[in-house]
Amino acid sequence: MDMFARAPYRPEEAEKTADTGYSYWRCTLRIFSKNKVGMFFFVLIVTLLTFTFIQPYLPAQKQALLIYNDDAGKVLRNVSPNDEFWFGTNSIGQDLWSMVWAGTRTSLLIGFAVAVIEALIGITAGVLWGYVRRLDFAFTELYNIVDNIPQTLVLILISYIMRPGVKTIIIALSITGWLLTARFIRNQVVILRDRDYNLASRCLGTPTRRIIMRNLMPYLVSVVAMRMAMAIPLAVSNEVFVTYIGLGLPLSTPSLGNLVNSGIDKIMQAGLRYQLIFPTMVLSLVTISFYIIGNAFADASDPKNHTE
Amino acid sequence: MNKPILSIKNLNVAFNLRGQRLHAIRDVYLDVAPGESLAIVGESGSGKSVLCKSLIGLLDANGTIESGEILYNGRDLTRLKNEKEWLSIRGREIAMVMQDPMTSLNPLMTVGRQIAEAVGLHQGKTGPQARQAAVEYLADVGIDEPERRFKQYPHEFSGGMRQRVVIAIAIACRPKILICDEPTTALDVTVQAQILRLIKDMKAKYGLTTIYVTHDLGVVANVADRIAVMYAGDFVETGLCDEIFYDPRHPYTWALLSSLPQLGVKGHDLYTIEGTPPNLFQPVRGDAFAPRSHYALNIDFEERPPCFAVSETHMARTWLMDPQAPKIQPPEHIRSLRERRGEI
Amino acid sequence: MARYILKRMLRSLITLVIVVSAVFLLLRLMPVEGYFNNYDKLTSTQIKVGLMNQGLDKPVMVQLANFWKQILKGDLGVSNRYRINYPISKVIASKMPVSLKFGGLAFMISMALGLPLGILMSKSARGKSRLKLGDKLGTLFVVMIQGVPVAIYTLFILMFGTSLLNMFMRIPTLFNADNWRSWILPVTALSMGNLALYAMWLRRFMVDESSKDYVQLARAKGVPPAEISRRHIFRNAMIPLVQYFPTSVVAVLMGSLYVESLFSVPGMGGLLVDVIKRQDNTMVQALVLVYSALSILGVLVGDILMALLDPRVSFGNKGGTR
Repeated sequence: MDMFARAPYRPEEAEKTADTGYSYWRCTLRIFSKNKVGMFFFVLIVTLLTFTFIQPYLPAQKQALLIYNDDAGKVLRNVSPNDEFWFGTNSIGQDLWSMVWAGTRTSLLIGFAVAVIEALIGITAGVLWGYVRRLDFAFTELYNIVDNIPQTLVLILISYIMRPGVKTIIIALSITGWLLTARFIRNQVVILRDRDYNLASRCLGTPTRRIIMRNLMPYLVSVVAMRMAMAIPLAVSNEVFVTYIGLGLPLSTPSLGNLVNSGIDKIMQAGLRYQLIFPTMVLSLVTISFYIIGNAFADASDPKNHTE
Repeated sequence: MNKPILSIKNLNVAFNLRGQRLHAIRDVYLDVAPGESLAIVGESGSGKSVLCKSLIGLLDANGTIESGEILYNGRDLTRLKNEKEWLSIRGREIAMVMQDPMTSLNPLMTVGRQIAEAVGLHQGKTGPQARQAAVEYLADVGIDEPERRFKQYPHEFSGGMRQRVVIAIAIACRPKILICDEPTTALDVTVQAQILRLIKDMKAKYGLTTIYVTHDLGVVANVADRIAVMYAGDFVETGLCDEIFYDPRHPYTWALLSSLPQLGVKGHDLYTIEGTPPNLFQPVRGDAFAPRSHYALNIDFEERPPCFAVSETHMARTWLMDPQAPKIQPPEHIRSLRERRGEI
Repeated sequence: MARYILKRMLRSLITLVIVVSAVFLLLRLMPVEGYFNNYDKLTSTQIKVGLMNQGLDKPVMVQLANFWKQILKGDLGVSNRYRINYPISKVIASKMPVSLKFGGLAFMISMALGLPLGILMSKSARGKSRLKLGDKLGTLFVVMIQGVPVAIYTLFILMFGTSLLNMFMRIPTLFNADNWRSWILPVTALSMGNLALYAMWLRRFMVDESSKDYVQLARAKGVPPAEISRRHIFRNAMIPLVQYFPTSVVAVLMGSLYVESLFSVPGMGGLLVDVIKRQDNTMVQALVLVYSALSILGVLVGDILMALLDPRVSFGNKGGTR
């Protein structure tokens, strides 16, 4: 070939590099999976969650609230951990191992319930808040007022008035939680409405559905995922707190709060400390894991970090 | 060139991005003469800003200088390892004016203090003396009531005024070289001319060498002695201002000049360069502009063109200058520019 | 500026009125047993009379009006179970100083330790070393404190702190306000939460600031790294940090409920836990109102601080959410 001959012009060659191949979700997942700590805890949590819910169906598991007697009919109180009772028994004679997992189930369920309620109400409210201009003032004032009061105080109030129980805690936590979710959503809707790049998209004729999918959805999903991840530790934390005050779940409902509470009395007795240590360890593991994945996901889904 | 104040040889800068390596600057050569006004022209993404940042050691954390030298005053700036060593260069020898005056200034510090900081660092003055000097610089760059303005915060200034402040800060460092990275891009057109004149005045008053980085050929025509045209991380053509405007040799330069809208000329479609700049994650084969050029030769896709000298001051990196290449006429309006130059 | 502060204070006052009224109305739903000392032994007529005497049979809105009249006179009502017929305001007055001292101490410690930790962490995070040990250790600490509920790590502090300290000094088993040694563990427990909060956010804000253009310019003009850190980055990062002031106030307020109770500190927090357990309605009501008022105050102070410190804030339009 004559090197110095004119080469034909090919338009497809000119356009070759137009697409950078950037996909928001792919990049988010890539960054999340590169975060070793986040991945470790993610795997841990999935294992923990699966285990928590299949635990009763595994072999050699005991029943949670059942009181165990020995052959002579005496209640097996305060038995140290052994082959039969892996975490030992508490002062009533219940198997601590199954109590701990039952309690974890309760807390997780509360957390999930709160998260779902918050998400549903929050997203609906947030979209309305952002879209309907006339509602903006009302919601904003409502938010500003509620923001002044600590969630824990509301929880105490409601628990004091209503009968303590799972429903009470769920109600108390959802009542204040949805506003924060709503605010995040509202901010994003306003951006969607008003920001230049969205106006530009609309001018170019991008269908609204695509704008929503590309701009609102990723943000929605990341906010909701974050709030859900944080709802669990919050639920656990509040439940323990409210149990200590005496407004917690009844003893007939297995709960981590009750376990911790009864464990507190045993602090000073070295031999019985395991009754506090096991519940707190499992509890801490659960809350730390959710906290870490929540943060890891928030970091990964932030587009500013998509340059690595 | 006799004794360049700054000499860049074989420079290669790359970034780690999303798991891949982006070659932003590819084997670049450039000499800067003392006291001249050089303009580096190129599109967004051509590597102009990266080049500037390499000159004062402000490359992002994921960027590295892979090879090459930046010679200044007998020192190779690529060898400077840590912040401490760079402190002897930054401000003192090479200062920079950045693009966006809205964000270049610390929003929570008074304007005067930011200038006084530079004065304190490079002129050894402190306290009231530094303050006095800062006020003088404010007046120097054309800000009225400098005493009062000294105490104000950046958000109390307009865009053009803020850029003046940034220039004042740069001047207060008493540098030898002033790099202006798109100094007027973020400003109104009417303010642009004022800022350019200000920089020219400062250059004359303080005997600076200025390097402008811009995509705006209008700015270039206004201020430059010499022009270096950059594309995809490499210089495709360098020469005196007249040479580049009236006798360009590289197809990219032709395309660039053709893109200038002609005032008063109606009825033609606006010219655009088809296609997009190449993906610098892949190594470039041959001439980077070849796929988009209507004047490419086969060899442009195979081998990187060497620098051909058009004159002592004018070089073009294109195979079209090779004696074996067919004699290709540049596009019509470029030719007419040449003829017009003959008339002048 | 002064106008803004006044406007903001007015807003808080209105919020206070709304919240207090709302809480009061909500508390009308409290179980009736809590108004009496010996509910089980009373006949239904005695209960009715008792409720009448306390004004609890009147329509809700009338009760609310009476309540406000009382409050404005400084009368928070009387306790029915904690200390029978004893004015609540006196009880609170005796407990508040301890809580204030306690909370204030915890606050100061969390700032004194949290801010330097945040700076250290951000320095390590921005550094060139691949290891970034300081950042990693600091983050480990922060994650532990923020990830584990207050109630839990306080227990750990109680358990292991006592054993640890007992090696060096004698910790009194019962809290003694005059013995500084008994303050150590509870104050530590109460300050942990905010310590981690300040460290985490200061670190994040400093890292954020350090990538901004004006820091680039400061570097370009030759400012040494130490001064950039101090004069530009730290100063500017403190401003957004102020928005967490209300959060940290709330953390101390709510945290004190637990910590005071656990360590038997004779403060307002322990009092609230106590009266909840005893189901003393009027006391619970009064204390909840006091805590609400304190939270609102915290939010107000936070907003004013923000306005004072940030010269960019224009006092014309401060609507919108915080």
